[in-house]
Amino acid sequence: MNKRFLTFALAKGRMAYTAMDLLEKAGIHCEEMRDRNSRKLVFVNEELGLRFFLAKSPDVPTYVEYGAADFGIVGKDILMEEGRRVYEVLDLDFGKCAMCVCGLPSAKELLCHHEFIRVGTKYPHIAKDYFFNKKHQTVDIIKLNGSVELGPLVELADVIVDLVETGSTLRDNGLVILEEICQVSARLIVNQVSMQMNSERIKQIISAMKEAL
Amino acid sequence: MKLLHTPEGVRDIYGNEYARKLWVEGVIKKQLNSYGYMDIMTPTFEYFDVFAREIGTTPSKDLFKMIDGDGNTLVLRPDFTPGVARCAAKYFGDTDTPLRFCYHGNTYTNTSSLQGKLKEVTQMGVELIGDDSIHAEAETIALAIEALLAAGLLEFQISIGEVEYFKGICEAAGIDAQMEAKLRDLISEKNIFGVEEVLLEAGADDKSREQLLRITDLLGTQEILAQASEEAGNQRSQAAVLRLCELYKVLGEYGVDKYVAFDLGMLSHYNYYTGIIFKCYAYGVGDVIAKGGRYDNLLEQFGEKKAAVGFAFTIDALMAALYRQRVLIKETATDTVEYSHDFADQLNAVKERRRAGEQVALNPGKATEDQR
Repeated sequence: MNKRFLTFALAKGRMAYTAMDLLEKAGIHCEEMRDRNSRKLVFVNEELGLRFFLAKSPDVPTYVEYGAADFGIVGKDILMEEGRRVYEVLDLDFGKCAMCVCGLPSAKELLCHHEFIRVGTKYPHIAKDYFFNKKHQTVDIIKLNGSVELGPLVELADVIVDLVETGSTLRDNGLVILEEICQVSARLIVNQVSMQMNSERIKQIISAMKEAL
Repeated sequence: MKLLHTPEGVRDIYGNEYARKLWVEGVIKKQLNSYGYMDIMTPTFEYFDVFAREIGTTPSKDLFKMIDGDGNTLVLRPDFTPGVARCAAKYFGDTDTPLRFCYHGNTYTNTSSLQGKLKEVTQMGVELIGDDSIHAEAETIALAIEALLAAGLLEFQISIGEVEYFKGICEAAGIDAQMEAKLRDLISEKNIFGVEEVLLEAGADDKSREQLLRITDLLGTQEILAQASEEAGNQRSQAAVLRLCELYKVLGEYGVDKYVAFDLGMLSHYNYYTGIIFKCYAYGVGDVIAKGGRYDNLLEQFGEKKAAVGFAFTIDALMAALYRQRVLIKETATDTVEYSHDFADQLNAVKERRRAGEQVALNPGKATEDQR
């Protein structure tokens, strides 16, 4: 049973490099993955019995839920949006940003009187939960797939729900944060079956990563 | 009209796949009957109240509902237990000896779209009613293990928890019901930093905070029970650990102790389970293949106070695990015989083989079609 490879799924992009730094600090190396020109999809560390792969961030919890990966490193925003059955074991304290309602300064008024407005977002579940269950405001949610900031500018949406890190894209387009929904950061998630059936090894890795934080 | 596909979440099962499923169901059913469990069939739909929040484990929004002619809300069963409990309370109220029921059928949950989960799955399980001893839990767990072995599953594990351990600590720390529910959700997701946040906010004392944080670590072989006992610190939690130790001993007598592990952070989202709970995990499937536990308060809701323990297999998840673990299931091949003008002769030969137990289909051959 100990022969089994443990697999990490990392969210593609900037977060993957920060995640790799953290893994290295915890004594988990994967040199192959550092090579940005590599066309390989799965990277292996034979010595530690570990495998790594990069996936589009919304798919990371899916890989972990189905056991295609034992561990995943992904943002809390994705976990909230996807609602997968996984164990969320560590707050990794990087990739910090805020989930916010943004729009033109004049849109502030629209959030105060339970008005029926249009909300553009890449995160329809989070937006729906916030407006329906927390603000009790009936809204029309429009799913967008990128450049969400365009929504209020071309009047597709009255406001948007999106992640804000530095806020520079918002500023450049004359948009402002109207309300903050919650803070998000990168999380370590674990497959439930692996956690139960391979608890010793998994607990070891979790505590090594905790130390490295 | 040309509708060729099924709605999302339901599917056709046919051919070899269905033959394999029926074979597995047959093997398991034989195992359940061998322990003296009596087959029971309850209706596919019942009044909403039978599955309402105080009783069931499925939130109302996930239930398939219909309205009948009198305006009653009816629900397609999301699981069998409430129906069997209702039936046991209704027809077996005056029996003092333990009752053993086993059931088999499809269940329905209106789960979220596009997550690759089925809305109709086959469940097979048992309820042991009127026995509050540890031997009742041991019997159901041993039965689940033996049934899985009979079906040929290789790598699996039953993780056992005891909700009283967590409740004891909460009680000793003076944590109110609302906060307990919050902690229960976070601990069952093993979200330790979430637990810490909630406890700091609530201003819980250091000792109970440490105890609650350590619950998620109490996961592994029976060795963790000694550690759990040390850390329990209150009678209610101590008693829970003691029950788990006893249970482990009886499982040893059944000879199935090597398939079990313990997880004191396993808590059900609902107040339905009252003592020991367990889940069966297998590599290759994201979902649990069986779950169960003790639910001593359920029958009371139907007017009969009786202890009860039970579990259910999700056959579809089990089939996926067998497939992923490459367990081969023997298939009976069907032979096809063709007839032309010699129909009577061929029929006689086929009759003979069918009587001998072979599967033989009789088809018109090419020659016959030419004759037409």
